Amino acid sequence: MTEQQHTAQEELALFALQALPKAEQDAVRAHVAECSVCREELARLQGDVALLALSVEQHPLPAGARERLLERIANQPQSASNVVHIESGKTAKKIYSSVSWSLAAALLIFSVGSLLKVGQLNMKIQQQAEQLKQQEQDTAQATRALDVLTAKNAQHITLTSAQAHPEPEGRAVYLASTGGLIFQASHLDPLPADKTYELWVIPADGKAPIPAGLFKPDATGSASVVLPQIPVGVRAKAFGVTMEAAQGSKTPTLPILLAGAAGE
Amino acid sequence: MFAKLLNPILKLLRSESGGTTPSTGTIADASDVALLESVAAGQQQAMATLFDRYGGMVYSVALRVLNDTGRAEDLMQEVFLQLWREPGKFSSGKGSLGAWLAVVARNRAVDVLRGRKPSDPVDEVILTSKMDLSVEIERGLLMEKVRAVMKELPAEQQRSLELAFFEGLTHAEIAQQTGDPLGTVKTRIRSALGSLRKAVEA
Ligand SMILES: [Zn+2]
Repeated sequence: MTEQQHTAQEELALFALQALPKAEQDAVRAHVAECSVCREELARLQGDVALLALSVEQHPLPAGARERLLERIANQPQSASNVVHIESGKTAKKIYSSVSWSLAAALLIFSVGSLLKVGQLNMKIQQQAEQLKQQEQDTAQATRALDVLTAKNAQHITLTSAQAHPEPEGRAVYLASTGGLIFQASHLDPLPADKTYELWVIPADGKAPIPAGLFKPDATGSASVVLPQIPVGVRAKAFGVTMEAAQGSKTPTLPILLAGAAGE
Repeated sequence: MFAKLLNPILKLLRSESGGTTPSTGTIADASDVALLESVAAGQQQAMATLFDRYGGMVYSVALRVLNDTGRAEDLMQEVFLQLWREPGKFSSGKGSLGAWLAVVARNRAVDVLRGRKPSDPVDEVILTSKMDLSVEIERGLLMEKVRAVMKELPAEQQRSLELAFFEGLTHAEIAQQTGDPLGTVKTRIRSALGSLRKAVEA
């Protein structure tokens, strides 16, 4: 192939997916190594392909996976040349001609193509991040306020333990239009064996709180709820966390352990 | 009742707004680059943090391809061990460790699934992504978006794309399996990727 005859977009897409037979794959690789036009188009397609890896349903890690990894790491020497480096254009060129070009290209992902394309999404994400910051602050304050409000009943919380441990906190980002909700909490108190934490969406229209997922903290007190099944289009006034019996509840049981207003 | 109880708290919040103290940075908030530097310096805690950040994603990708929790964990362990042994092989200057790990996991898993030798050495992977997947919120939003797009694709487009990406089939194998002409398969995959791109842009 020559630069006069560019690789068809369909071929490039298949190349990005590693879905071409060996001979065709080699041909595309050879052309792309020489042709910046196709290289750029491929990079864009690789960006699209990489998105697929994000589409998979997220599963919790098998129990003990973290410990197993850390144990192996503790027993594993690192290589001598552990330098985190920024690739120069020169290195990149070398890679174009190497056998592993397809993976290299596969990882030229979001920038060349999608950076431009995903710019808008990034902006949205940035807005979300700003909202998140606000919500984080709100949640921290809500936690503090709740501590005050529930002080009479909080006989098990001694002054020393409150100082020895960071306060529990949570943060949520919510897109009413899709019913998408992501929640993270840290410094949570350990749960009794027969209990779970439960997240709630408090609708702005005053209707009953909507259960938005059960979660239990890990050894470090962290937990998250990612995209629970909740109705689409519910305007939220606030979010709350309660402790419930292990199977969860349809209505929240007081006290509210964490709460935060859905800032606008 | 719940909402009523919440109201005084929210009011309190509003009257107090501005009085919060900024949260202090911890290792959990460190950037991928900073963490990789710590990993290169042999700090296991940094590795643990990276694992907490991306372990679930890598595992989920491997599980989707291999459909076997044991093999998926083995693969995940291998990917992270590799990162521990040779963190310099990810060139962090340009981008997203999360995307890199996800694609490495996919490619490795497909190799395992198809009984192939690793087709692409990890050490020559370049990543220039600016997409920050290190924040779970952002990752979650993007995942949600991609998933929604996938669901809306015509069934045969979705199927072709999944056979290629998650099962590592060539276009000829896909054509054989679906009984469609090669050209049709090619077009479908191209259109499906196009839709995905368009939707993420939107
Ligand atoms: Zn060309």
